[in-house]
Amino acid sequence: MGLESPFIPYVATLKMSTQLTPDIKLLSVELKDPDTRAGFDYKPGQFALLSAFGEGEAPFGIVSLPGQGDGLEFAVRRIGTVTRALQELEPGDILGVRGPFGNYFPLEDYAGGNIIVIGGGIGMAPLRPVINRILQQRDDYQQLLIINGARTPQDLVFQPEFPTWRAAPRTRLELTVDRGDEHWKGRVALVPDVVKELAPSPNNAIAIICGPPIMIRFTLSVLKNLGFKDNQIVTTLEAKMKCGLGKCARCNIGDKYVCQDGPVFTLEQVSQFLEQP
Amino acid sequence: MNLFISKDDLIRWLELLLRERIIIAPIRVQGQTMFQPISKVEEIMFDFDNTALSSKGWFLPPTETLFSVRRDDGQIKLMPATVERDAIIFGIRPCDARGIALMDGPFLQVPSDTLYQERRNRTTIIGLACRQAQPECFCTSMGSAPDDPSHVDILLTEVKDGYIVQVVTEKGKALLPKGWAKYKRKMPTPPQLKTVPTKGIVSAIREFFNDPYWERLADRCLHCNICAYVCPTCYCFDVRDYPDKGKVERVRSWESCQSPGFSLTAGGYDPRTTKGERLRQRFYHKLLYFPERFQEVACVGCGRCGKACPVNIDIREVISDLHQLAEAKSGS
Amino acid sequence: MDMELIQQIRGKARSLLEEGTVEGVIGYERAGDGVTSRPLFAYDSSAAERLIFDDTCTHNLVKYLLGKRGKKMAVMVKPCDSRAINLLLNERQIDRDKVFIIGVGCPGVVETEWNHKSETLQARCRSCLLTKPLVYDVLLGRELARKAEEETYSDILEAEAESVVSRREFWREQFSRCIRCYACRQVCPGCYCPVCFAEQLEPLWVGIRIAPEENTLWQTIRTFHLAGRCIGCNECERVCPVDIPLSLLNRKLEKDVKELFAFQAGLDPEEPPPFATFRKEEMPELGE
Repeated sequence: MGLESPFIPYVATLKMSTQLTPDIKLLSVELKDPDTRAGFDYKPGQFALLSAFGEGEAPFGIVSLPGQGDGLEFAVRRIGTVTRALQELEPGDILGVRGPFGNYFPLEDYAGGNIIVIGGGIGMAPLRPVINRILQQRDDYQQLLIINGARTPQDLVFQPEFPTWRAAPRTRLELTVDRGDEHWKGRVALVPDVVKELAPSPNNAIAIICGPPIMIRFTLSVLKNLGFKDNQIVTTLEAKMKCGLGKCARCNIGDKYVCQDGPVFTLEQVSQFLEQP
Repeated sequence: MNLFISKDDLIRWLELLLRERIIIAPIRVQGQTMFQPISKVEEIMFDFDNTALSSKGWFLPPTETLFSVRRDDGQIKLMPATVERDAIIFGIRPCDARGIALMDGPFLQVPSDTLYQERRNRTTIIGLACRQAQPECFCTSMGSAPDDPSHVDILLTEVKDGYIVQVVTEKGKALLPKGWAKYKRKMPTPPQLKTVPTKGIVSAIREFFNDPYWERLADRCLHCNICAYVCPTCYCFDVRDYPDKGKVERVRSWESCQSPGFSLTAGGYDPRTTKGERLRQRFYHKLLYFPERFQEVACVGCGRCGKACPVNIDIREVISDLHQLAEAKSGS
Repeated sequence: MDMELIQQIRGKARSLLEEGTVEGVIGYERAGDGVTSRPLFAYDSSAAERLIFDDTCTHNLVKYLLGKRGKKMAVMVKPCDSRAINLLLNERQIDRDKVFIIGVGCPGVVETEWNHKSETLQARCRSCLLTKPLVYDVLLGRELARKAEEETYSDILEAEAESVVSRREFWREQFSRCIRCYACRQVCPGCYCPVCFAEQLEPLWVGIRIAPEENTLWQTIRTFHLAGRCIGCNECERVCPVDIPLSLLNRKLEKDVKELFAFQAGLDPEEPPPFATFRKEEMPELGE
């Protein structure tokens, strides 16, 4: 004995569970052990595996920033058995956390540039810490354009943060929905069309994009038409994942292991298997 | 230095070892040869072609508990599974032993898979050299040989009246009693095998990711998991929770990239939706992705997949086909 | 090998492909071992030249029609395989207009394994009374007058005579070898659920453990899903890598369904299997 199994999660407590949209909740999670909590450092783009004991484990991007807000935050959309169990947890309930895993958005490398953040639906989740980190270090970057799309106005995530994002210097937030409702006065358009319309310049720019595969695919072609090179487009991939340790091989897409080589990739690295028809 | 042991002494030695350790050996089960824990040394098959399933199941069992969750008074305890006893796996062929060495790549890389590592540490591998080659064998094309001692602790080679004992590691040496005679004669010649053109396959396969070859080959593929489950180097797994009377176990089981749900996320996204993409994944993983990460092709040439495939999809034929595609491409 | 028959098959396949009647022909070719055969998908006339037929052609190719739905395909069908066509027609899984059936007379197939062909006729062939396919668009080869013996289910009767305990013990041992590779399912023409219960999560029917309990559950439900639907091609047993005698289970249910409902799957495309029909008089206690 004595070997520490990498499959054993940290025990954590749910501090708060906030309904963000009809099917997405924001979970604030605190690791029980104070030393582990203090040592749990992570960067925007990294993920963790959350356990609902009895149902299983699934990967989620960490949507908070270290030292900001209430512990670790995860946006959980109800799509299966594990996510349902996580959503049903109440404050004080126990869950498991393994991580942080994977690489991160190399935001330092983008300093001095223009950043375009494009997110669709739950795809905004891993982009939230990117936006908040840029806002924290706002002077390091030029223009920040955020394009946030969702199926309906209710499905737009992180709405309470929109005023802060809008009020930040040199920052523009563009919202769009596939289907409006009686209160919606904003755009009704698909994300790729909005990107096309706003036509951000590729000069000294990085586009960070996350969303459903179909949105990614069409947005990629718009960005390429605008002159973005494959190394100027960065995305974070979703994949089936069982271990997070480069062993189970479930997240192997093309020659990449999403859990170890990713989840953050430039289009240059993954175009072969993303752009297939 | 090689030793010699008579068959009778070998059996007596194994009987002694069985008192203290689990011995996993090839035994006859319903007409098939399988690695299973033995209760008596007489059960062991000393003369067999190869086992129906490889020996990987001892190190990565078809199913095992990773840890269990216990709740007491509002407290939660996560109890890791442990390996209880020392073991000997007896009668591994050199190809299977190499399979274990290849699995070490992903499982022992940091952070290591502790259950696998413990089993590895507590198991001594006694190999049995092949005196005959089977028609499906091609280990010499995959970096091994019928008499390859590289990945075992002790290698036995059957000769007249007994076995030559090659002590390969310290771990193997520790099992040996004193007083066995030295073997001074020449080592017997290993059997000759048919060759498969594996040279250059890693660079050849790279070029054919989008080739229609895979869809055509997948036409007849049933997408069962036989090839992956008989393979000594296929190691993909699934993990799920089993709740039972207030106790929860997190369990892992074998899984294969040919399964329909293998890469399908809960959200409905699947990077490999067609049969061709799934079949390609198996060969790309073996012949490109694994070598890129661990420097070796993930095939040991045991030939089990080709033999067991109900529709005759054979990695040797795939390798030849890819070379032909490459030749056709460079010729045009 | 009956070269005359093979030439007829190749000729028919060529003309079907050249005339554009079908997109592809599903047949048999010699396997890489040079001894046994394997399925071949021929999409052009040069590939059609690889088609063969002999007593190693055990595969039931009808299964492949399920993966080619919507495409016009020709398929080589032995008399036994034609029952799978009827099953799938009855269950509305294939479109008769899209399938061109090349029926072949069959002398029976022998036990084979990779690189080895035996002289032993497969057990299912010894009791096969069909002399030609039940449904076809063209029939090639001779209609055979074979000496087959009527199925007597002697092994099933023997098993039925055993005690519950000894039967349970027998199957526990058999299923403990199962590695849940699902080859039995993947090869079965009657297994085509878009999501198999074995993979369903909500509700969860059977866990992922590869262990006697789960394996037994998997095999039991699989067998029952084929009650009155199994057409007896026995491909499941042939492909099983750990040699579980699945035909004992399938034929037990075949026998029961025959006795209870006087029904055998796949003999008639119009008559639905007993478990797909409901007659009020069968459940009088339900009342009106």
